[in-house]
Amino acid sequence: MAISVKTLWDEGAETLQLSIIAGEQYLDRKLPETTMNRPGLALTGFFQYFANQRLQIFGLAEFTYLKSLPQKEKLNRMKDLFDQQIPGIVITRNRKPTEEMLELAEQHKVPVFRTPMVTMNFINECTVILEKLTAPQKRIQGTCMELMGIGVLLRGDPGIGKSETALSLIERGYSLVSDDVTEIRRTTRGKLVCWANEVTRYHMEIRGLGIIHVPSLFGVAAIRRQTELDLVIDLKHPTGDEDRTGVQPATVEFMGVEVTCITLPVRSGRDMANIVEVAALNQKLKELGHDAAKELDDKIISRLTRGRVKHG
Amino acid sequence: MADDTYVKDMKVMNEYGIHARPAALLVKAAGKYDCDIFMEKDGNKVSCKSIMGLMTIEGFPGSVMKVTTSGVDAQEAMDEIEELFVNKFGED
Repeated sequence: MAISVKTLWDEGAETLQLSIIAGEQYLDRKLPETTMNRPGLALTGFFQYFANQRLQIFGLAEFTYLKSLPQKEKLNRMKDLFDQQIPGIVITRNRKPTEEMLELAEQHKVPVFRTPMVTMNFINECTVILEKLTAPQKRIQGTCMELMGIGVLLRGDPGIGKSETALSLIERGYSLVSDDVTEIRRTTRGKLVCWANEVTRYHMEIRGLGIIHVPSLFGVAAIRRQTELDLVIDLKHPTGDEDRTGVQPATVEFMGVEVTCITLPVRSGRDMANIVEVAALNQKLKELGHDAAKELDDKIISRLTRGRVKHG
Repeated sequence: MADDTYVKDMKVMNEYGIHARPAALLVKAAGKYDCDIFMEKDGNKVSCKSIMGLMTIEGFPGSVMKVTTSGVDAQEAMDEIEELFVNKFGED
């Protein structure tokens, strides 16, 4: 997913301590490859394989090298660099850009930024931000909780009791991530991360009560900014078709990542929070390599087939 | 029609016998009916609606189960249970 330089500026200016020193009106430029390049080799005049679609980082090395060149050469190399249609330049360690650099930037409509950060730190931070900005992401219906390190997404028709279940879980000491609307993102490691929409974060709607603010009522331990998603629980009216063994649990897919999905029938009087808690514990156990249902099944099969006589 | 009782012997024909998956199929099928459904072997009788019961009955491959259904929909229940046995619970 391509973003514009402006997106990076809007989202990362503060963390990356960026200030803009040229080409402010050209922030709309696309950043086709959401990563960075140090143009050292290009400055020597070698433009084969030049990563011109990336943000160009000018650090100590680039500046020191440029300084070592005669004036005319320096200008030519810079011109060549700008001719490559680069999306933007970041100067680290608060180095002063040369006059010709700023002029060329305006001519070629390239934004130039400056940061006091050390190049290495800047690249690390910027990579994290770019990754976040470009990760596939969507908004889904469901309440997200974190139980003992297990991220659980509760789904189900409106009024089935997602928020009430979440409330009971909060009372048991677990943490709310988001109520009813959950933002979900796929990380580069192929994991899913859930968090709440900025505006409604840590608020819940409980039928008959209205909107409550969870940390005000239950303290900051009752909330969590984000969690990795390990388990999806669908709350449904009973159909009689529920899984009875859990040997082969169903999965659900978000942006290409499969997550275990359990369907829990809701009946009046059934303590859903208790069952969700056990489901999370069981998931944790599975992640530790202990699958109770599978192990029992294996045990039964080995008993049933021990000393078998082939039947006809 | 009401409260009929049917009894039938059925042979376990799949490779692994009545383990978790066949047990789950039986329980799901049995759960759809109002009648009582029992499965009996070597003097042990368990409800066909109990997964833990079915997993303890030791339904070895080749063994024979005595299935009893009694109640309003006993005939239909028996047919469905038999079909599962005949189809080897969808296994080889």
